[in-house]
Amino acid sequence: MSNNIVVLDNGGGLIKAGQGGECDPLVVIPNCLFKPLSSKKFIFPPPLSHGADVDIDLTSAAVRRPIDRGYLINPDLQRDIWSHLFTSLLRITPTSSSLLLTEPPLSIPSVQRATDELVFEDFGFSSLYLANPQSLVHLYEASRRPGSILSRTQCSLVVDCGFSFTHAVPVLHNFTLNHAIKRIDLGGKAFTNYLKELVSYRSINVMDQTFLMDDAKEKLCFVSLHLHRDLNLARERRNGNVIKSTYVLPDGVTHTKGYVKDPQSAMNFLTLGLSDEGPNTLLDTKLDNVERKKADMNKNEIDLTNERFLVPETLFQPADLGMNQAGLAECIVRAVSSCHSYLQPVLYQSIILTGGSTLFPQLKERLERELRPLVPDHFDVKIITQEDPILGVWRGGSVLASSPDFESMCVTKAEYEELGSARCRRRFFH
Amino acid sequence: MEEEMANRRVSSRTRKVASKMAAALTSNDNRTQAAIARLEALENDNGAVEVVDLNDDEETSLDEDDDLGYVQKKQYKGSKRKTRQAKALEARKAPKSFTELLQETNLESSPSHLPSYLKAAVGPPSSSSRRHFCSVCGYIAGYNCCLCGMRFCCIRCQNIHKDTRCQKFVA
Repeated sequence: MSNNIVVLDNGGGLIKAGQGGECDPLVVIPNCLFKPLSSKKFIFPPPLSHGADVDIDLTSAAVRRPIDRGYLINPDLQRDIWSHLFTSLLRITPTSSSLLLTEPPLSIPSVQRATDELVFEDFGFSSLYLANPQSLVHLYEASRRPGSILSRTQCSLVVDCGFSFTHAVPVLHNFTLNHAIKRIDLGGKAFTNYLKELVSYRSINVMDQTFLMDDAKEKLCFVSLHLHRDLNLARERRNGNVIKSTYVLPDGVTHTKGYVKDPQSAMNFLTLGLSDEGPNTLLDTKLDNVERKKADMNKNEIDLTNERFLVPETLFQPADLGMNQAGLAECIVRAVSSCHSYLQPVLYQSIILTGGSTLFPQLKERLERELRPLVPDHFDVKIITQEDPILGVWRGGSVLASSPDFESMCVTKAEYEELGSARCRRRFFH
Repeated sequence: MEEEMANRRVSSRTRKVASKMAAALTSNDNRTQAAIARLEALENDNGAVEVVDLNDDEETSLDEDDDLGYVQKKQYKGSKRKTRQAKALEARKAPKSFTELLQETNLESSPSHLPSYLKAAVGPPSSSSRRHFCSVCGYIAGYNCCLCGMRFCCIRCQNIHKDTRCQKFVA
């Protein structure tokens, strides 16, 4: 009797869930309960796949998240979200299924116990497999590139920039090397909050518009390759300013979602490239041809200039915010240096970028630029990006679930009840 | 906290202070208060300021659930005032934040060869030189306000700062 295997990537921002063995998750929903202005109670958010026909007004929606700083601290809330997920969206019965669940590395025992209780006692899954998201990413990339160094050595460094934090995790033979994991406490949530703070001071108060600012961040923010040059460019007035972009806030009447006013010109920063000079002359002619759109006084608009690249810049230097933590390049170097010296060249050659916050444009180029001076000359540095960083972990889980000896690796409900949570966990991580 | 309250002359009018600011105010240095409060604010789920009465009980924790902040907003519409017991019950029912759970597990006492959440934190940066950005326009800042310590880049930004935001965090 083959159970169907549910692969659930329980992230701080989004839950990705679906059947094991499939190519894509069935459902991607935000991992929260939100309360829009129109209702008094907290309701479940709609799945992301139904993007266009969602007419729920997301402005000023209050949000309650079960995951705080990356770890599950509110099991009751998570239970509600999961039960909604299992019954209405996935339509499975937990008692006849196995669960493959992801959990961030280095969790604390009380959180682990709460998670186990939630899975076995509240839902009654027949068996459970816990994985670190980074080892799943490694598995997925290794299966996609069979001839590469990655899969031949079974070893890689996964840089996971998620919602709550960013980890640099060396993975060897599908196990994470826990003593070498390094973490920066910056993630999608911190970026959105920082953007909210900047915008609220400089134009309109958007401190309670989480979803709107998330959208603005995803559409408009990018990583600058040359900070001083970009700061100078952002200061220029109208014609010379290739970085300035306008985001139109929803007004509830004509449109309920915000949008970028001129998506074409928002992409102009891509022409700037790695050089130190200003934008090329080619660009100027393009600007003349495009009709200058006047500011529409009826709509609320926010102008974003240097916020567009100052926000992701904090990932490379958290000291900008006042945080006493090293940036992404140093984090990678420290993680690799904590490993055995034989592994170090291999790790530098197979750095995998994953997680939603790696979708900022030009992040890979900037990271290469920053990392190269810090790595000894005789090591090669090679960075691999995934084609879909958000779904990467889920797909790895799906690959793992379809492997033939998956069932034997799980912990069954009977074993959990007999041995308890702590003993069962030792099967997964050492 | 009680000694501080006794030394200051507390007015009978309840003063509303943002909860993170209230936590920061316990330290004496204004500038570190503001810096710590800004970093804590980055971890907020909701952007709205959670309102805490300064003259409130010791029992209600400052890191309370977001719900209480919103219920308090509606209080003016005449909903029942919560008794002290009810408030304490709610404070106990609200899930603990991760930082509280972390302190409970007391990770510093575990043996040093075991990896743990605390050891995984990437440490301080290797160069302690920071870049400062103007709080008004975002350009590289060269100067800081002598009163509150916020950065600005030029006189125009300094004037804007003085008019709008200087001393906002100090009671």
